Amino acid sequence: MVLINLTGIQPTGYTLLADDAQPKEGENIAVSTERLLSEDNAFFAVAGGVGAIITTGTSFSDLDALVGKLAFAVIDFPAFGDGRGFSLAVRLRKDFGFKGEIRATGPVIPDQALFLLRAGFDTVEVTASRKQAFEAALNRFPGFYQSDFAGQTSIAHARHTIEGLRVEGHRKAS
Amino acid sequence: MYAYDTYDHAMVNARVAEFRDQVDRRMTGELTEEEFRPLRLMNGLYLQLHAYMLRVAIPYGTLSADQMRKLAHVARKYDKGYGHFTTRQNIQYNWPKLSETPDILQELADVEMHAIQTSGNCIRNVTTDQFAGAAADEVADPRPYAELIRQWSTFHPEFSFLPRKFKIAITGAAEDRAAVKWHDIGLVLKQNDAGEIGFEVLAGGGMGRTPVIAKSMRDFLPVPDMLSYLEAMLRVYNEQGRRDNKYKARIKILIDAMGIEEYTRQVNAEWEKIRHVPIDVPDEEVARIKAFFAPPPLAVLADDVAEVTELANTNFIFKAWLNNNTGAHKVPGHAHVTISLKPHGGIPGDASDAQMDLVADLADEYSQGEIRVSHEQNLILPHVAKKDLPALWAKLDGAGLGTPNAGLLTDIIACPGLDYCALANTRSIPIAQSITERFDDLKRLMDIGPLKIKISGCINSCGHHHAGHIGILGVDRRGDENYQLLLGGSGAEDASRAAILGPGFDEVGIVDAVEKVVAVYLGEREDEESFLNAYRRLGPNVFKEAVYGTD
Repeated sequence: MVLINLTGIQPTGYTLLADDAQPKEGENIAVSTERLLSEDNAFFAVAGGVGAIITTGTSFSDLDALVGKLAFAVIDFPAFGDGRGFSLAVRLRKDFGFKGEIRATGPVIPDQALFLLRAGFDTVEVTASRKQAFEAALNRFPGFYQSDFAGQTSIAHARHTIEGLRVEGHRKAS
Repeated sequence: MYAYDTYDHAMVNARVAEFRDQVDRRMTGELTEEEFRPLRLMNGLYLQLHAYMLRVAIPYGTLSADQMRKLAHVARKYDKGYGHFTTRQNIQYNWPKLSETPDILQELADVEMHAIQTSGNCIRNVTTDQFAGAAADEVADPRPYAELIRQWSTFHPEFSFLPRKFKIAITGAAEDRAAVKWHDIGLVLKQNDAGEIGFEVLAGGGMGRTPVIAKSMRDFLPVPDMLSYLEAMLRVYNEQGRRDNKYKARIKILIDAMGIEEYTRQVNAEWEKIRHVPIDVPDEEVARIKAFFAPPPLAVLADDVAEVTELANTNFIFKAWLNNNTGAHKVPGHAHVTISLKPHGGIPGDASDAQMDLVADLADEYSQGEIRVSHEQNLILPHVAKKDLPALWAKLDGAGLGTPNAGLLTDIIACPGLDYCALANTRSIPIAQSITERFDDLKRLMDIGPLKIKISGCINSCGHHHAGHIGILGVDRRGDENYQLLLGGSGAEDASRAAILGPGFDEVGIVDAVEKVVAVYLGEREDEESFLNAYRRLGPNVFKEAVYGTD
């Protein structure tokens, strides 16, 4: 697997904590959301950065109690068509103001690269053979109709800024 | 009409380049069909029984004459000389070559068209009243809002991988010609007591194997809140809609399970959080889009035109066409004209390249260069001066486009069925052909009056049989094509679900059964009572006795 960096964030190095294992002092660990919800503050204090592995079946309201303690989040897609992962990322950014790294894992496809970026993901784990296609897909579109969590404003807004109005050939309704 | 600017052009051109790359990778074998499938489906390219099928979006059913000429050109150059207009106001080509589909999409992009989101589990083409901007009974033109929704929903970062496809319809008239209550979301433009425009919001309608009529969840949503409210509705659905069973994945199932009150509560709670975040486009953008839909510069003319009356008095066919295929326009002295794509014995919704070219020319000559596609699979010239009706009719009639049957029994919706579709159980087109041949008598049709027959070749209901006054559903019965008869459906403001009358028929028996049902109506109707009203008064039994006998 290789990591595609969508936003230029410094990616977190971490180890997956086995279900029966305890964190080592100062270690960055990724842990299932279910387990994190039952762990006490001591658990978080021992570890370095703690990341939640969030399955797409997780309800965003379950994350409420957890988000403040997380350094990063890993949203795992069981299939590329399971779009709940996009809403989970949006919820983390929008409802909880989460600023840490959000990583996508699972069988997402290169053509989803910009969707992931725009929904608030920073990084994607992909098989090495797909790296090139992912990177190509990131440069495909010059703009979109929605403002997004990658900081791009929508075409609808861009049209009415000074720069937008200067775009060559830009046509106004007559 | 909406016109692309640099931003819109850049987006569709980028899409074409992306798709060309994907097709190249498929052609060289770099992508397997399994890997290619989700990619082609995002561009409306299906693999059907005999060939690929390309579905091209016609946003809210509005076309310019130049766009129609391009559709004709594509039919001629890349297909077998025809196209099929669909119940989502789109057009389908049945025989494109995979290697040529990027070229088709580039040609379409050149006239501001695309195939984006015409398939896949995303927000599909927004549909509306085919007479939008022309109909006399309209509160407001729904097309600016449909265009806003088109842009907002295109490549939406969060809602492009929904549990299932998602269909939105919007109407601005009291008479619902867009079947909004049969959609995942229906929007009805209204004016409140203060004179402001807003929407009644309906949700959870849909056909398929579980037909449900949408429920109202908000009586009046102010226009500026439209997109943030849609976003809240879609978010709750994306998170909670079922993904374990594709037959239970539409929003209708979610809303039935949680109840419309609970769904509304959750949507409202989410909306309160986001309504003040600038999801919605700026006011200047709404104004920019609205300006494209300014009413055309039509002169106010006399409603009574001597030449029209004279021709109607001497030519029964023209009189029938005038009655059935033209309707009241906002501007006096004008009409909107329905061009029937339902010639008796023909294929509902099909048009040849020559016919499309002719309609384009007639739109330029008589209708401000504008054309519409209706969900009932007809074409519309929305802005015709009444004085031009005789000349227009003569030209249409000469090209096989003058069938005066709009809204009558032979104006049948039919899905492509087993002649094309990989999902179908039975053929649909031959049933429509047999019925229109059996009822090929204009006087009889006009005596019967408004009657909507809708035919689906499988339970997926692309032919809207649940909403037919008479619905026909093809099922596979141990290897034989079998047709069920349903009565009493409606896709209009009085939406209702058609009910199965009894055991099914073979392809001849179903036509006989329709004829018997119509005979009962003619015998039992009171005064000017329509078929649907008569059925609602009489109930199914009298029809059942006539069709199945009493033994």
